[in-house]
Amino acid sequence: MTFAERMLKIDRRIIFLVIGLCTLLPLLYPVGLPIKISPEVRGVYDYIESLPEGSVFLLSLDFDPASKPELYPQSISLLRHAFKKNLRVIAMTLWVSGTGMADQVVTQVAREMGKESGKDYVFLGWSPGGTAVIINMGQDLYGAFPADYNGRPTKGMPVLQGIVNLRDVNYAISLGAGNPGVEAWYVFGKDKYKFELAGGCTGVMAPGLYPLLRSGQINGLIGGLRGAAEYETLLGRKGKAIAGMDAQSATHLAIIVLVIICNVFYFSLRRQSAQQSRSGA
Amino acid sequence: MPIDVIIGAWVATGLTLFIFSFLYQDNPLFKLAENLYVGVSVGYTIVKTYDTVVVQLVWKPIVENGEWALLIPVAIGALMLTRYVPKAAWLSRYAFAFIVGVGSGLAIPRTISSFILKQIEDTVRPLLVMVPGEGLTFTMDLLNPASSLNTIIILIGVSSVLFYFFFSVEHTGPGKVVARTGIMFLMIAFGAAFGYTVMARMSLLIGRLTDLIEFSDSSYGRPSLWLLGLTILTLVVMARRARIKPEEE
Repeated sequence: MTFAERMLKIDRRIIFLVIGLCTLLPLLYPVGLPIKISPEVRGVYDYIESLPEGSVFLLSLDFDPASKPELYPQSISLLRHAFKKNLRVIAMTLWVSGTGMADQVVTQVAREMGKESGKDYVFLGWSPGGTAVIINMGQDLYGAFPADYNGRPTKGMPVLQGIVNLRDVNYAISLGAGNPGVEAWYVFGKDKYKFELAGGCTGVMAPGLYPLLRSGQINGLIGGLRGAAEYETLLGRKGKAIAGMDAQSATHLAIIVLVIICNVFYFSLRRQSAQQSRSGA
Repeated sequence: MPIDVIIGAWVATGLTLFIFSFLYQDNPLFKLAENLYVGVSVGYTIVKTYDTVVVQLVWKPIVENGEWALLIPVAIGALMLTRYVPKAAWLSRYAFAFIVGVGSGLAIPRTISSFILKQIEDTVRPLLVMVPGEGLTFTMDLLNPASSLNTIIILIGVSSVLFYFFFSVEHTGPGKVVARTGIMFLMIAFGAAFGYTVMARMSLLIGRLTDLIEFSDSSYGRPSLWLLGLTILTLVVMARRARIKPEEE
């Protein structure tokens, strides 16, 4: 067996180990590679910056713990930014399996920023119906969520003063890991009730959402851990996303090297077999 | 450190390492974590749904506020349960008809408006754009998604990919060139999607490793180190047993 053949039949556990080490080492010994801000992430940041104090900001945390590494840092950064700007924050989720986690992140950031539930922000929790909830909120917010996550009636809450439905929302962001998520918020929300919308999503979903960004259907997009790191950079607060960027770059480099090596061995084997068949003939 | 946080750290660390152990080989620890994941997520969903739907949105409004009109959707929903009674199963069709009718009515016009019409509008943009002070201009900036050059690329991409999926005409001559162009655009799109998928999967690994590093701290009782030892020990014992068994046979 030639060297190329041996390498192409290498135990895949060795590759797992290489990828694991390429991830672990930069996490233990960070280098601090520079992070370039993309226009789609800046779009979200700039729009929140432009909102006047007291504007209504809706954050829909449409993900569950399976997408936590990518979307949790995004939600922390967005909530910090919104609270820093003294926006009225309405948080909710369309994913029942993410309710507890969504409550945890909203409560944690609100406490950190000294905000009061019911006065500065509200976590509405989850309501059944998926996309129908968005339509319901577009007609009557209090019909879709008669009580918040803690069971307090939403009607009369200071943070919701003057808000009747989605038309009163100044800016909405859906952090989606699937359906219902960003697309559902555009189709059943923005397109019908005309509020400004942006999206945050997992890396897997990002290519599918770029057409919405180009056409102006959403005004910004935070894609995956990379997007979260860019937002943390814009906010000037280092978090888990920035810490993970060195590891991300190292694993990408390792994968590129592995792809190149595999191709080199593959083509060398092909050439060998072609030469053998020629000499045999 | 509160005891619930410490217990949470041990459980999270253990389950992460047990799942990762599958990368070496299938083993009972992986099975335990896998079954726990399925069980816990289903249990959590059932409890949350029961509390939010049955208690908060149905029971309380009817009993406490006298909103009797809610009995109508409850009755339609309850028809679904007739599927468990073969003789009355036909009643569930009314519930399905309601769901399909309302769902289609809501989704079809909105989807056509949001995706098909808006995307067609974006695909056939004007080639020349009005730049203040410069008049009509053809912009060549490849990095700007709204540039004239990108408009042409998108138009060629959309047309050629659509032609590639047009099977009524044989792809020969000029048609072959267009179809090949379509394949090239598709390959680029698949490559971009795969690149993002790799990035996403690596992000998940980074997330778990970040937690494992955090939980290796003495304030948590170093669960990462202890449970890593346990996982490795299990894998070693399993490998030894697997080696002894064939010898006995």
